[in-house]
Amino acid sequence: MALVNLERVWKSYKKGRDHVEVLNDISFRANSRDFVALMGPSGSGKTTMLNLIGGLDRPTSGVVTVNDLVLNNLSSGKLARWRSESIGFVFQFYNLLPVFSARQNVELPLLLTKLGRKQRKKNAALALDIVGLSDRARHTPARLSGGQQQRVAIARAIVADPKILVCDEPTGDLDRSTAIEILRLLQVLNQEHDKTIIMVTHDPKAAEYAKRTMLLDKGKLVSSLLQPKVGAEAEA
Amino acid sequence: MTTFGFLIKSMFRRKLLVSLSMLSLTTAFLLFILLRSVAVLFSGDFASVSDVRMQTASKYAIILLLPHSYGEEIAAVEGVRDITFASWFGGVFKEGDDSAMTFAVDPSTYFEVHENYQISSEHLDAFLELRTAAVAPEAIMDRYDLEVGQKVPVTSSIFPTANGEPWTFDLVGTYSSKNEVEADYLPFLFHYEYLKEATGVSDVGWYTFTIEDPEKASEIAQIIDSKFENTADATKTMTESEAMKNWMSQIGDIGLMMNGIIGAVFFTMLLLTANTMIHSYRQRIPDLAVLKTLGFSNNKVAGIMLFESLLFCTTSAAVGIGVATLALNGIGPFLPVGFVLAVTGPTLIWGASIALGLGLVIGLVPAISANRLVIVNALHTK
Ligand SMILES: Nc1ncnc2c1ncn2[C@@H]1O[C@H](COP(=O)(O)OP(=O)(O)O)[C@@H](O)[C@H]1O
Ligand SMILES: [Mg+2]
Repeated sequence: MALVNLERVWKSYKKGRDHVEVLNDISFRANSRDFVALMGPSGSGKTTMLNLIGGLDRPTSGVVTVNDLVLNNLSSGKLARWRSESIGFVFQFYNLLPVFSARQNVELPLLLTKLGRKQRKKNAALALDIVGLSDRARHTPARLSGGQQQRVAIARAIVADPKILVCDEPTGDLDRSTAIEILRLLQVLNQEHDKTIIMVTHDPKAAEYAKRTMLLDKGKLVSSLLQPKVGAEAEA
Repeated sequence: MTTFGFLIKSMFRRKLLVSLSMLSLTTAFLLFILLRSVAVLFSGDFASVSDVRMQTASKYAIILLLPHSYGEEIAAVEGVRDITFASWFGGVFKEGDDSAMTFAVDPSTYFEVHENYQISSEHLDAFLELRTAAVAPEAIMDRYDLEVGQKVPVTSSIFPTANGEPWTFDLVGTYSSKNEVEADYLPFLFHYEYLKEATGVSDVGWYTFTIEDPEKASEIAQIIDSKFENTADATKTMTESEAMKNWMSQIGDIGLMMNGIIGAVFFTMLLLTANTMIHSYRQRIPDLAVLKTLGFSNNKVAGIMLFESLLFCTTSAAVGIGVATLALNGIGPFLPVGFVLAVTGPTLIWGASIALGLGLVIGLVPAISANRLVIVNALHTK
């Protein structure tokens, strides 16, 4: 079975008396070490789909299976636990906690593990090293540039060594050259650290770094295409 | 980073707001302890006072005097054993000080009736022998640096001397009480005869007597009071413990008032700190949503909020109570003899309970909200 499996998934939100249909009958799969770019107009349901894969939300109907685990039926406590072990999240606005240093932010997910204090610190330092920010470990987010903050967020996403990274417009707030650095970093994580990545983006250039692109429109998957060989190899 | 470190640091996300609120809550606890200690003083638990000893004083006010002749009449009542009397002298030992407890007494009977007092026969003999003699309890000796054998000048606004000079007593001895609690409340004693001779007063402040059967206390009280009922000097007779309670109840209203003030202070604090907590919660919705995203469960996130409010309140309480204790120890030496201000066990228990209760109450709403916070909504509204 594929690592990520969405089977005839529907999702609607209540808005007052109305139901807003956000996802209509989505079926989607992604294999281990896949790097999928999810594109589509604003409001087409990209974030919603990502939230379902990441176990932040439940489908109205259909089945979400990740790593052979059906997420639909998990209690919120079990789901939380599962998220901490299996998924790394990267958001457009980094969502770092402002009072903590870069290293402490990266360490947060490890507070949920059995690791001791020293080991947590070590792992956090290692994750920061992977994203190339060792020298900024003690800085608080306010003292970091956007690109650096996003690196810290990526370090936080990988520190517990999850199989899957879900990234919601990770370069949406960054200038072109910084965006490219972040995308390269994601590529490295995909290719060298075997992370399966699902990345929402608006930007066709960013999508080129993925292995394939999916298009979402008004809650429906309209196409799935393999990426021509741009991205890493083309750039490198 | 330890989990505790994490909790502390996230609590101080808004340093100024949280610090200021903490400071005001600390002040509230400081006030609480100070006021409580005064209230405790006013409603003091005088375990030492006896039910076998009774007191007859003026019905209207303890400062009014009673005729000397009442002594014999009271002594004649059945069930009355030994009787003595005393007058309030209001002696001031040091210029500018408040008056200390100073009684003019009949030394030959005073110690018989106050069986709980201890005086060596040597000191008692010396006391009986000399008309200007006086004996003092340790608390007063300590406070005014007195020594047995010295002359003690004492002024009194109730009984000023003709030439305005202080009275002079020969301090011939010291006495104490078997009951340590009483130690700070013992009076300085001198001869009533000396007072009478110098001022011409023949009335006395109150009579104190022992009875054979404590069960008969109210019966005896009634007999005595009815004897004098229709005279100008009507009396009120009570056991010593009742008398103490009665006296205290006159100031007891102050205690009530203080409890009122304490209540008002804490109610204000409740509103203020609840406001701080809810404010702090609102500000941290994005952070809490992130923590949930990272895998912190609903209960963990709720626990963070509850922990914060408990820590917030207990820390403030600990600091406030600590400062209050230091302050009270500092004030102690400046209080008039007989007054003790101390942080008592019950006050501490009250303080701790209020801190925990307050922490739970103001932490509840943020904790429940944090528990129910839906990640996608919180991230969505951002
Ligand atoms: N938590 C929510 N509650 C109500 N409506 C939502 C929620 N999340 C998303 N929506 C609605 O669902 C639709 C799709 O949203 P989203 O998945 O964020 O789109 P995209 O990420 O493609 O821009 C939008 O109309 C949005 O208003
Ligand atoms: Mg979106």
